[in-house]
Amino acid sequence: MEFEFRFDIVWNNLSLLLEGVQTTIVLSLLTMVLGTVIGLFVAIIRLRVKRIYAVPFIIYVEVFRGTPGLIQIVWIYYCLPIVTGFQLGELTSLVIAMALNVGAYLSEVFRAGIQGVDKGHIEAAAALGFRPGQITRRVVVPQAAYRMIPAIGNVFVSAIKLSSLCSVLGMAELMYQGQIIIANFFRPIEVFTVVAFIYLIMAYTTSLFMMYLEWKFAWVRRRDNSFWEKFKYISRAAFSLKPQGDI
Amino acid sequence: MPSLANTENKLAVEITDLHKSFGSLEVLKGINLSVRPGEVICMLGASGSGKSTLLRCINQLTVQDRGEILIYGDPIGFVRSPDGKMKEAGTGTLAKQRSHIGFVFQQFNLWPHRTVLGNITDALIIVKKLTEEQAEKIALDRLEEVGLTDWKDEYPSTLSGGQQQRVAIARMLAMEPDVMLFDEPTSALDPERVGEVIDVMRELAQKGHTMILATHELNFARDTADRAIFIDQGVIVEEGPAKDFFKNPKSDKLRSFLKRMGNG
Ligand SMILES: Nc1ncnc2c1ncn2[C@@H]1O[C@H](COP(=O)(O)OP(=O)(O)OP(=O)(O)O)[C@@H](O)[C@H]1O
Ligand SMILES: [Mg+2]
Repeated sequence: MEFEFRFDIVWNNLSLLLEGVQTTIVLSLLTMVLGTVIGLFVAIIRLRVKRIYAVPFIIYVEVFRGTPGLIQIVWIYYCLPIVTGFQLGELTSLVIAMALNVGAYLSEVFRAGIQGVDKGHIEAAAALGFRPGQITRRVVVPQAAYRMIPAIGNVFVSAIKLSSLCSVLGMAELMYQGQIIIANFFRPIEVFTVVAFIYLIMAYTTSLFMMYLEWKFAWVRRRDNSFWEKFKYISRAAFSLKPQGDI
Repeated sequence: MPSLANTENKLAVEITDLHKSFGSLEVLKGINLSVRPGEVICMLGASGSGKSTLLRCINQLTVQDRGEILIYGDPIGFVRSPDGKMKEAGTGTLAKQRSHIGFVFQQFNLWPHRTVLGNITDALIIVKKLTEEQAEKIALDRLEEVGLTDWKDEYPSTLSGGQQQRVAIARMLAMEPDVMLFDEPTSALDPERVGEVIDVMRELAQKGHTMILATHELNFARDTADRAIFIDQGVIVEEGPAKDFFKNPKSDKLRSFLKRMGNG
């Protein structure tokens, strides 16, 4: 028996997929923004308060890192209205669910990044007469931000893939649209192949953007700041070789 | 140089009955020490004897459990209210007090995200509120003093250890501190890089700065220090003019320490 690939079915329904892409992008971007806010908030609380007060936040992080994202999304989608008494829109509750997941991971990234700053650099600033806020702004944030960018990128890429789970709740994002086409034409291989490729493009764009940020933040620039050097840097980064600009 | 006008009769540093424990480990067991303006004091002692802890207490990177530290008569880490009572200093006040005390670390602790120049100008701009031009001028003068003017636009990671330590000294100098503290400034350096840092410190000593150093450089201590101090297990065992100190150690502990350090 011979198998014939029927990619024409996908091309004929491409507009359906592209509609889904739009929704996926909206879901992912909102999740990233809200997740970053949650992550920063939790990380700072955990670094600032005594351990007992941090317990609820530790539990939050471990629960969201340690349970399947699908269950988290379904649970929040159905239970949030029951618990809070608020009827939130479909998009809102899905974004909150995903942002809680992303925020849990990001809070650990932020916490490690802030803690990773050499204590000696902080003490040097203190010894010169910097106040605590000035130390945070001038010494901790610039160093932590640079180091955290690749890890933040990983979480953002996961967020895009996480959004595919929203299809289960009928959100018409990319995965959902793909499944609609499959249900109509019974061509899962072709449709999933294209859908996966679209996810890959979105993920890789995110990675490239993070590499660009890393390059912007790289403080140990080459003395040679020519176009050629910039080009080499970006292309090295694009092929995931270790970016230059060691610290 | 002391920035205060009425400092002639005051001690630069006066430490009374300083105690500090980490958990059950008592690291400082009642330190008393007076330093006159312009005096250079070298502190010797085996690893773990409490040298770093003592230096760090002087600018409150470590806070003592008990005892008092006066810098030109004013308690550090505390403020004296009009009725004579001591109150713990707030973070702003403490920062201000620290800006008058220079500290040079064993590991240099330059900020890797700032150039050599930026490392020096930052504190001038942020703490002393100078303009960028004023700060840059001071920074360049200090860099010249340590012989690193050509390196001003480099990042610390491209410098050798000795160069980094000289930048760290320039950064401290730029703040014109009343007292300078050095915690083993040459211990992290390659042997061939020690000399360049020692030379800078010797020059500072000759210019009349008040300096307290923890060091294992016996030759430097012998030639340059006015007074040497030997700390053992959190107490000052012996102190005296640097010349006699090495020639005629009185205590057995110092004698065996000096022997171990290769002081003939
Ligand atoms: N933050 C800290 N927490 C716990 N113990 C500490 C701390 N800082 C120092 N100690 C301990 O206090 C003792 C004295 O340390 P300190 O660093 O003052 O010694 P030192 O004389 O500077 O030694 P070295 O020559 O190795 O620098 C050591 O046993 C050290 O382990
Ligand atoms: Mg030490």
